[in-house]
Amino acid sequence: MYKRAFLFNGIGSKPEKLLINLPPVLMEKYEYYLEETFSKLGLNKDLDKNKAYDGRVAEWVISLICDRVVYEHYIEQGIIPDIGAGYSSGIVSISACFGSVSHDFAHGIIMMNRATMKCLENHNMKLDMGIIIGMNYEDARELLSSKFSEDDIIVGSGNSAFHVMISGKAKAVEEALFCALQEGALKAFSFGTGVAYHHPIMKAYSQEYVDFCGSVKYKDPLYPMISGFDSSIITTGEGVLRENQLNVYTPIRWDLALKELEKMGVTEFFDVSANGAVKKFSRVNKSKCKIYTLEEV
Amino acid sequence: MREITDQIRQEIKDMIFDYYAEECEVEKDEITMDTNPQEDLGSDSLMFVELIEMTADKYDLDIKLQSIGKYMLKSPMDTMKDVVEMFCKIYQYGNDIVNQ
Repeated sequence: MYKRAFLFNGIGSKPEKLLINLPPVLMEKYEYYLEETFSKLGLNKDLDKNKAYDGRVAEWVISLICDRVVYEHYIEQGIIPDIGAGYSSGIVSISACFGSVSHDFAHGIIMMNRATMKCLENHNMKLDMGIIIGMNYEDARELLSSKFSEDDIIVGSGNSAFHVMISGKAKAVEEALFCALQEGALKAFSFGTGVAYHHPIMKAYSQEYVDFCGSVKYKDPLYPMISGFDSSIITTGEGVLRENQLNVYTPIRWDLALKELEKMGVTEFFDVSANGAVKKFSRVNKSKCKIYTLEEV
Repeated sequence: MREITDQIRQEIKDMIFDYYAEECEVEKDEITMDTNPQEDLGSDSLMFVELIEMTADKYDLDIKLQSIGKYMLKSPMDTMKDVVEMFCKIYQYGNDIVNQ
């Protein structure tokens, strides 16, 4: 039924790493969108000059703009998706690219992360996220459950057989990363973001974000989407809204979503990130499927 | 334990050098056994995982990444010599590399 899937990345890549791969013609488009968007949002293009949380969300908005540029490039090349998936804030990105919400509204959703961060600060919540390379979901879950409470830390995202994201209280994340290295992880590092996206603890601190997501009517997406949370197929605006609202505090099973896409017949995956970030942490059955990046297209 | 010949050693070394040259966009002859893959070539752990996957496919190995991670706790990969040596041990010992 489906043959070609577009994969949208979340936040995490530094702007300089994203932009280095954009060819001049796409860079020109990026500059145009950047100027327009930052001006509307009141953000400074010199990221260091943004105050408090603005600098951080500005980086995340840049990720969305890059996704948009790459997405439009693929479409212009005649590469049309049958289905798509968004990883973490990639859900916001795909919601706009697949036409459920405007790009302006998607940027607004990203900006609402400031309210979440402010709320966490007001409640003195010290949270964090981390990456473990060299462990799969089951290994990481076993490690965490043997030493920690789920209230403190969980596997926030099972990405592939060798890549997981953990999320929770900062102290638990720090300890878990240390334990992971002792147990044979190839690499383990924290984001130091002060937030714990995809941990249920975030629900209490993200009401403004959730309310903002629900403040407009979502159109049905141009192409179906697969949920990164439960691998269900989303074809309605209501479904896209639900994904955006769940996004902050619900664990992801990216690995399972990709497997489900393979089961449904997808053989061509297109990484919509500018720097091939999705391909790096995702895995598909190489004998049947391939993940294409911007560089390869 | 699987026997390793000089020919296989050379094949593994060539595979590793070719991989880093392509991924890190450097000339192969710029890489020596003393090159530090992270500091000199800018490689990262995701590249390292891909190299392990390639090796496992090529030599039909069933290797758990955690076994390699535990080995690396004792023997860090500071130079290409360390990397080649480790991949030869993966070929020879598989998951038992952790006890080497």
